[in-house]
Amino acid sequence: MTVTAIVREPAGAATPAAPGLAARTEGLRKVFRGTVAVDDVNLAVPDGAVLGLLGPNGSGKTTTIRMLLGLTAPTAGHVELFGHRMPEAASRVLPEVGALVEGPGFHPYLSGRGNLFRLAAAEPLLNSRDADRAVSEALDRVGLSDAANRAYKGYSLGMKQRLGLAAALLVPRRLVVLDEPTNGLDPAGTREIRQVIGGLRAAGTTVIVSSHLLAEIEATCTHVAVMNKGVVVAQGPLRELLSDGSSTVDVSTSDTAAAAAVLRDNGFAAQPIPEGLRVELGDRDSAELIRQLVLGGVPVHEATRRRGGLEELFATLTEEERG
Amino acid sequence: MTAITLDGAPSLQPRTAPFGRLLASEIRLLLRRPRTIVALAVLALVPVLIGVGIWAAGGDSGGGPPLFDMLSGNGLLLPLAALMVALPLLLPLTVSMAAADAIAGEANHGSLRGLLLAPVGRIRLVAMKAIGVAAVIAVGLSVLLVFGVLSGWIFLGGNGLITLSGTTLSFVDGMGRVLLAMVLIFTQLAAVGAVALAISASTDHPLVVMAGTLGMLIVFTVLSNISALDWLHPMLLTTGWMSMAADLLRDPLTLDGTGGPLLRAGCYVIIGLGLATVRMLNREG
Repeated sequence: MTVTAIVREPAGAATPAAPGLAARTEGLRKVFRGTVAVDDVNLAVPDGAVLGLLGPNGSGKTTTIRMLLGLTAPTAGHVELFGHRMPEAASRVLPEVGALVEGPGFHPYLSGRGNLFRLAAAEPLLNSRDADRAVSEALDRVGLSDAANRAYKGYSLGMKQRLGLAAALLVPRRLVVLDEPTNGLDPAGTREIRQVIGGLRAAGTTVIVSSHLLAEIEATCTHVAVMNKGVVVAQGPLRELLSDGSSTVDVSTSDTAAAAAVLRDNGFAAQPIPEGLRVELGDRDSAELIRQLVLGGVPVHEATRRRGGLEELFATLTEEERG
Repeated sequence: MTAITLDGAPSLQPRTAPFGRLLASEIRLLLRRPRTIVALAVLALVPVLIGVGIWAAGGDSGGGPPLFDMLSGNGLLLPLAALMVALPLLLPLTVSMAAADAIAGEANHGSLRGLLLAPVGRIRLVAMKAIGVAAVIAVGLSVLLVFGVLSGWIFLGGNGLITLSGTTLSFVDGMGRVLLAMVLIFTQLAAVGAVALAISASTDHPLVVMAGTLGMLIVFTVLSNISALDWLHPMLLTTGWMSMAADLLRDPLTLDGTGGPLLRAGCYVIIGLGLATVRMLNREG
């Protein structure tokens, strides 16, 4: 009979398997009592990526995250985590997801440890006999071991935030969602959060972190989505977004003439500024520029990279917000 | 391997934490909550205060609520009298407080999100909360029972239970009547708890739950005193509450008056838990 029907390509060869997506949204929209909070959000978060969700306050970041996690039902559109539809697949997907959303939420009269035990009881992936160890490790990881037995209501804002992070990290996760994790933290705390995110990334965990601070995102993320007024205005790998637009480096030097000569020889375009020269990088690397300058014997006091792309975009958005 | 590359994700199985572990955690949380402990202490005080008062007055109860004039030398009646004193307000307050904290309170603290994200399925969550509220009722009634029996024995004395019919029941039979009263009151309070949970699942404010539940009971009491509305009385949860204890104190025992309250409580429990589940499934987490 029809023998040909049986012959077919090995699975996955005919259509190259799309890189796995930890999270995906399609046409996500949320309307609260006639106000459009989020509109047509299409996110694609690759497995293992650290996505920075960037945007001014009220831009729809938290609503988007709440819909991702099935806490809020979208008005339109849909969400997939690990290829499963949310919120229908919550019991399949959420055990693998750790989240800190809308700030930490705990029982005030329980200790930090007591609160984590409460959540540990609800964690599907945690064996009862491992709860003790998991809670202690999570407390340790966020630096709360010393305050673990104090009542939550006596915690500072930063400590509360750390406990929220500890809850998100109670068991090993495939996806960790952190909504403004550095709120209320001092600079040291912010650095620690970055280290935690770095550790997650190294372990192959996908991370979605929202922030209204560009510096935070830039230091920790591989991918960025910028939101404003409920819509995603830019999204992609951080490197691509940053290099969009012309990148220049301001070179501060006492010997402008020598610098100009070296740059001309190496094919860099430059124009004078008060401290020295502003150099167009084009598609080249700032490291190469500086190496050529130093090799050419130019005294370089300082080289500052001026970015276009994301920074400009974000500046425009936040200034608009203030105005 | 193929399944992973084709879907872009391994097929995940639904997983959930053991229900017993969740329940243990919920009940531990409820019983460690300072306000629960205060409410239980107040409940324990009720029979002790009545007992001490009558003992100090030299056995003269000096009138008061029904049953009080029979208390002297009738210690086993004290848990029942205490129950009747606590039933209109103190017990519903304790129950609605537990139900208020169960969902609205957790939402208010933001800790409900943690449970939903764990995830605890929303229907399991309602089941866990309902059993938690039932546990608080059981513990509250047990406190009344234990302190009632003890202070009756210490302050009022007596052997067995003197009934309204004038006969004296043995200690075992008397105890049986007291336990029967506890079971009946449990069902009524479970109905109160179910209504409170339904409100709790609809709001983020625990006070709304307590005000709503107690308000409902107060309105019911008022309505039940209006004879023009007697067609409405069979639908009011509070109907028959006060006569229940008296019915249990007749010899021989007549259970004619208990069917109505039991049926009513059952209806309230079903409607309350049904509404709580529907509200929970549709609420924002």
